[in-house]
Amino acid sequence: MPTGEIYFRHSLRVNDYLCQGCTTCMRTCPTAAIRIRGGKAVISDNKCVDCGECMKACPHKAIYIKQDDFGLIENYRYRVCLVPTTFIGQFDTKYKTKAIYSCLLKLGFTHIYEVEHEVPRMMELYNRYMEDHPEISTFISPYCPAVTRLIQVRFPSLVDNVIHVRAPLELASRVIVKRLMDDGARRESIGVFYVTPCAAKIAAVKYPVSGKETYVSGVINMDFLYNKVLLMLHDSDKNAQPINHALTARDVMWPLAGGEAVNFKGYQYAVDGLQNVLNFLEKLEDEAVDAPGLVEMRICDQGCVGGVLTTNDRFVARKRLEYRARLFERLENSKLRESSNEDNTLTPEWIKDMEIPDIKPRSIYKLNDNYAEAFKMAERMKKIEKALPGVNCSACGAPSCAALAEDIVRGDANADTCVFINPLSKTSKDAMNRIWGDRIKSNKEEQ
Amino acid sequence: MHYTFKIERGNFTDAGQASSSVKRTLKQLGVDPVNIKRTVVALFEAEINAVAHAYGGTIDVDIDGEKIVMVVADEGPGIPNIDLAMQEGWSTASPQVREMGYGAGMGLPNIKKNTDDLKIDTKIGVGTTVTMTVYLT
Repeated sequence: MPTGEIYFRHSLRVNDYLCQGCTTCMRTCPTAAIRIRGGKAVISDNKCVDCGECMKACPHKAIYIKQDDFGLIENYRYRVCLVPTTFIGQFDTKYKTKAIYSCLLKLGFTHIYEVEHEVPRMMELYNRYMEDHPEISTFISPYCPAVTRLIQVRFPSLVDNVIHVRAPLELASRVIVKRLMDDGARRESIGVFYVTPCAAKIAAVKYPVSGKETYVSGVINMDFLYNKVLLMLHDSDKNAQPINHALTARDVMWPLAGGEAVNFKGYQYAVDGLQNVLNFLEKLEDEAVDAPGLVEMRICDQGCVGGVLTTNDRFVARKRLEYRARLFERLENSKLRESSNEDNTLTPEWIKDMEIPDIKPRSIYKLNDNYAEAFKMAERMKKIEKALPGVNCSACGAPSCAALAEDIVRGDANADTCVFINPLSKTSKDAMNRIWGDRIKSNKEEQ
Repeated sequence: MHYTFKIERGNFTDAGQASSSVKRTLKQLGVDPVNIKRTVVALFEAEINAVAHAYGGTIDVDIDGEKIVMVVADEGPGIPNIDLAMQEGWSTASPQVREMGYGAGMGLPNIKKNTDDLKIDTKIGVGTTVTMTVYLT
């Protein structure tokens, strides 16, 4: 279906065997990236932002995220499990963090490293960027990769508002690799495996906006690892050794909605949930809202605990992380962290590596590169839209009448697919009119 | 391409529909984001002005190959002193309007800043017609 250059690739896939073509995913998609063709959902590469809303919505579990083979870890002598705190939020608080981690070690990993260990350095990177760009009033956090892509395709005028810094997992993988190499490991013997709560983070590793090299060797879906660990936790071991870590309350809360923004000076805003993000970006683009400062944005409701690959309820997971954060506070982890010999500085190499040189606008609305041609198409589209019934029934395989109008002018669909314009028989026409009133219009426009 | 919208007095909640709709078309045309922003901001300000001060009105937008012409025509009290109204911070908005976050006296100056051509026809006790033009190239 897509024509021309493909600049995005995705981790979300449709299982044609399970897909019923029920249109549920298509109507949920925020970028109208899905069409029904041959009775199955088809995702357009350049429009999809990997938000995962389609997968959450699918009643047939027909949309899945392709993960790397777990056996891949065997290729490395040093096998690092790069885990976000969202993962421990999945488990009942009766399980100690070290017991969960000891299960990961038993599964074959040799090292555990939490992404949130990099919070202090990430904050410094954000602050540097904001200080270097006094001309920008509203900064958007680059934390949620789906938000960055959404901005590229739907709100291209806002690409410069996004802090041009790569994802925390990129920094974390560099830090742990360096640490292991300082201890004598060879670079090629180290494999870093990220445990992902969502599709967007996989896409960000595999097909980064920055176009730069990743240090992550593989990505494992969080639900897959959760099931494995949960089975082992029942014979949970009392001998589990704590890992040197001293995550602070602030670090643990980072993936939660509001957990990031609150740490920055000046005004900050925390926007979570797809609809809220869309509304806020819309207003920001129109300058209908004045929001100087830092905007944290998460596509998933409640932040990463709402990710499509998490197993437990997001509100429960949030509470669990809050509980652990309080526990870490009682244990005075922040003091522990300050007094540890751990080096929290940023090397010039990391600063350079973490930079995103350019976030390109990739408008999905633009009809043609040639203005005169686009103008003709837009005029025609407006006419077609008027002729369509406007009930967004999706029977044509497009999510809305507006989307069908666009498909028609782009040459991807025909007007005769509209059941209102092209009713099968007099009887079906009468039946339609009984339900929708007199909406069946002539298809003069298309003839 | 032509668009027409209605303006309802005091309805701040629904204001912005005209600019959203125009924005969608400009994005389809691949208009430069800077010009899209200028257009949308100017149109929104003009609409808010009419919502805040007038009794009602209409918005007419025409887009052609080289420019966008937006005409916001209202029936209202008119502007007694245009020179004053063009000054930043000068406002006759009611306390209620100010309480909603509008009426800071930036409307007309902001429109001026964001358009290439601005014409204001006003008659006391009859109404105001604001004609704004943004050139695309």
